[in-house]
Amino acid sequence: MTNSWSDLQNSEVFLIAGSNCAENHPIAMRWIHRAMEKGAKMIVVDPRFTRTASKADVFAQIRPGTDIAYLGAIIRYIIEEKLYDEDYIRNNTNSLHKLNKAYKFEEGVFSGFDPKTRKYSTGSWSYQLGADNLPLKANSLDDPDCVLSKLKEHYSRYTFETAEKITGIPAAKIKEIADTFCKARPGSILYALGMTQHTTGVQGIRTYAIIQLLLGNIGKAGGGINALRGEPNVQGSTDMANLFNNLPGYLPHPISTDKTLQDYLVRNGSVQEKPIVALLKAWFGENATKENDYCFNYIPKNNPATNAPMTKIFEFMEAGQFKLLFNFGSNSLVSIANRQLVRSALRKLDMMVVADLFEVETAQFWREPGVNPAEIQTEVIMFPAAFVYEKAGSLTNSARWIQWKDAAIKPLGEAKPDLDIVDELFKKIRELYKGSSEEKDAPILKARWDYGHDGEASALKVLQELSGYDETTGKLLPTLGDYLKAPVGSVSTGCWIYAGVTGNGNLAARRNNADPSGLGIYKDWTFAWPANIRILYNRASCDKQGQPLDPKRKLVWWDADKKVWAGNDGADVIDKAKGPDTPEGMQSFRMNPEGVGRLFTASFTSGLPTTPPPNGQPVMGVRPAGLCVDGPLPEFYEPTESPTVNLLHPNVSESPIAIVPSAFPEIQKRGRPEDYPYVLTTYALVEHFCAGGITRNIPWLNELMPEPFAEISKNLAQKIGAKEGDKVEVSSARGKVTVRCLVTDRLQTYKTNGKDTETIGMPWSWGFASLSPGPSTNDLTIASIDPGAGTPETKVCLVNIRRA
Amino acid sequence: MSKKMVLVDTSKCTGCKACTVACKEWNELPAEKTQLLTSYQTMKEFTPKTWTYTTFTEKYEYPKMNWYIRKAQCFHCAEPACLKSCSSNAISKTDSGYVVIEQELCIGCGYCVDNCPFGVPKLDNSRKKAYKCTGCIDRVENNLTPACVQTCQPGCLEYGERETLLPQAKKRLSEVQKTHPKARIYGETEMGGTTFVYLLLDAPEVYGLPINPTTPLSLTIWKDIVRPVGGIAVGGAAAAVFVGVFGNVLRGAYREQAQEEKDAQKGGKR
Repeated sequence: MTNSWSDLQNSEVFLIAGSNCAENHPIAMRWIHRAMEKGAKMIVVDPRFTRTASKADVFAQIRPGTDIAYLGAIIRYIIEEKLYDEDYIRNNTNSLHKLNKAYKFEEGVFSGFDPKTRKYSTGSWSYQLGADNLPLKANSLDDPDCVLSKLKEHYSRYTFETAEKITGIPAAKIKEIADTFCKARPGSILYALGMTQHTTGVQGIRTYAIIQLLLGNIGKAGGGINALRGEPNVQGSTDMANLFNNLPGYLPHPISTDKTLQDYLVRNGSVQEKPIVALLKAWFGENATKENDYCFNYIPKNNPATNAPMTKIFEFMEAGQFKLLFNFGSNSLVSIANRQLVRSALRKLDMMVVADLFEVETAQFWREPGVNPAEIQTEVIMFPAAFVYEKAGSLTNSARWIQWKDAAIKPLGEAKPDLDIVDELFKKIRELYKGSSEEKDAPILKARWDYGHDGEASALKVLQELSGYDETTGKLLPTLGDYLKAPVGSVSTGCWIYAGVTGNGNLAARRNNADPSGLGIYKDWTFAWPANIRILYNRASCDKQGQPLDPKRKLVWWDADKKVWAGNDGADVIDKAKGPDTPEGMQSFRMNPEGVGRLFTASFTSGLPTTPPPNGQPVMGVRPAGLCVDGPLPEFYEPTESPTVNLLHPNVSESPIAIVPSAFPEIQKRGRPEDYPYVLTTYALVEHFCAGGITRNIPWLNELMPEPFAEISKNLAQKIGAKEGDKVEVSSARGKVTVRCLVTDRLQTYKTNGKDTETIGMPWSWGFASLSPGPSTNDLTIASIDPGAGTPETKVCLVNIRRA
Repeated sequence: MSKKMVLVDTSKCTGCKACTVACKEWNELPAEKTQLLTSYQTMKEFTPKTWTYTTFTEKYEYPKMNWYIRKAQCFHCAEPACLKSCSSNAISKTDSGYVVIEQELCIGCGYCVDNCPFGVPKLDNSRKKAYKCTGCIDRVENNLTPACVQTCQPGCLEYGERETLLPQAKKRLSEVQKTHPKARIYGETEMGGTTFVYLLLDAPEVYGLPINPTTPLSLTIWKDIVRPVGGIAVGGAAAAVFVGVFGNVLRGAYREQAQEEKDAQKGGKR
């Protein structure tokens, strides 16, 4: 989240699209209701009328996977009707930056597309540069080369009428959504997996970024783009780099062509030197020195050609690449799209080590009905894992609050916290490698590893390592600022964005709920990264003189007497001592190389030298811009399985660079609308959590939601001759399941390109194990993935249905 | 203790059912084996082991969809029919507004089950005792909020003094009526006023609630007129026989009438 849960009470309007927060983040409603009591309006856009929609002022039922179509129409409306915040976009975005004349969008593709490799080269998605290598800026927002003009041109195709034909939402309703959201400021956008689990997931979120930047909602209390993370500590997990192309703190992962630290910095910018060296110092301690490149070569390098998000891992596993799988707290056999691949792949392992509370489906995959255990050679070892209340540690929520908790009770029997399991494992592994002089074993032997004594590792020591040490004194670093000021190689941090969390005591353990500003900032409750800044980009909530624009929502301000940025929140500025009229003090988006928000994600590197470097040294800039692999602007593409053809460019119906795994065509089948005419969307329910591995073993929860179902409209029920409570068989090209039929008006028939279309909704939380077994919906879903984020398209595929 | 109230603001209820789990956890009640009945609902009525549950009513008024979600539990009436009907003085009422069954005194006659206009108390046939929501009187009298209120996720349930909370509910009603003109308060005067007061978004019958819940007339006659009069007018054993016979006749006749009344009042399937 750019903002926070408690900040939601400050909004004037909510767009909840791609989220069913009343069910999946119930406490969100508590804060949303506070805003609504003060007059805020709630808009919900969802393929079904959900429990969240039951509280909405405006609801629109959307064809799954078509969000960019109506959001693009809203962008067009904002620009054409000049609803944007002009001061904001001039000062805080790249609206006036001039684009390379070679940039084009034609026939459904952006310039730079290579049909052979099915990839974009991004050279043309760049700015016109001056002699100083800085972007040229237009004088007027009407300049045809400027970003705003390119946006206007791009979205001119997205009329409300076209969006209606694509999404099934009536044009008048789309306009109502646009008017309701744009005319109340600040507005907050909430999203979750409904937006991200698509082959165009990243671009969907980009449309939110564009809308919020145009409206001036970023950096404001009550505004922002608020991702509601799907699991309690997934924010913490991604901060710790459980994404394949990151190191902790979202540092780029080294790749095979990065032979030296210098190569890595040439590719990623000099700005990465400080954090990667600090990380290497944390991991290798005194062994990491300037002379040995800080042990840079001890980190395994990725090969971009074989990068693997979850679904692809199972393709490699099926091909026999892996001998051993550590499966900690994961139930892929239920949760992965097109789960038949998981079922097949697990048998290819020599060994699987599972850590979990219950014998979830994955932990006993050989017991699935229809599977013959005699054919499976995999050895499975199960570690009983401690539950959340049985272990100390931190949990980072969607709002970036690092929240420390102590263990409330001891684990039962032999169950251990994951930290203890991994700690003991690593120490035993290191024992086995003792005495080796082989270079490949050096990382194991030279790693700094000191979290406590056998079987009782200290989570606090881990958090302290993340927060960082002064390596010259061995003392904890007090703040992020101290880390930023320190010479390279003199400090360590396991995750630089967490710097300072244990700098002055364990700040993550603070529970002071004072809220003097009344804005729900709670500065002394836990610790938000980075540097306890609660609302990111909050410099944008001030005018050019550094004074708050909204007297009712004062976040930060320039204190001219003390010559410092002060406020209710920590100021998100480069240097607190640099005033609003300095180059540093003007920037609200210091993590972007342009220093402004990016409406168009251009290829640009700051700090490129204007003269060639001496002695044939490679060119190294300071910070290259983050790019989206599938385009600098969001464009509507149909999902992989779609009932229709793309109205905007029928010849390029789907995203040209979406990844559709097909290494195993017998398992990874694709269906056609002729055979599978209905659209399936999948989701979770409030009564169960994710794959149900824990919750289906709790009788009270099974009482509340005992079985899975397929929700269908009354029309569809009539068509197939089914009534509420009948069993129906839902089938896709990949599999079929039989579940209870739930007939409802919460799903209505809608028109797509003039043709009647039906959506079927199914929760996915069931599997063959537990006290409450049931069929797994991911027998039906397709595993095509977003090329940037690797998220699977579980939210939309084609199915058929009949009475069972 | 002063008169309490729990406001159930259905305009905020998101049907998360956490209240059911909190109630079961606090009262150490076991889970029941259920099936989906309609919409997302799994309980059609109270049981000796389920003292609160959530009802889901879908009402499509083209082009607007309405999903009316309501937490059901004992109303804790100021003039409770169950208390009046109890044949063993097992049911009592507190000043704070809670109607409590004392299981030790309960003989399992089932009169409370028959007479409650909301169908709340239920007989456990194996134990021959009646059970229902206690209002968490054990928590309330120790200055804690009721378990359901404590856990309510979206802030639909609020517990406090009736004299502050009822005006607050009415203020909230005028806000809600801007978008839901059929919204109303239910429980202000019904059954003499109930401790659990609802802000409903539509008429009570849409939620499966009686439009005008009352103590059955026959019970009033029986307990308030006949029994006292019968005791005085004819002496001794004769009086007892007369009253007993007459009472039985009335009760027998009452049973059918009450069922009809119930069906008429509940207005439609849920």
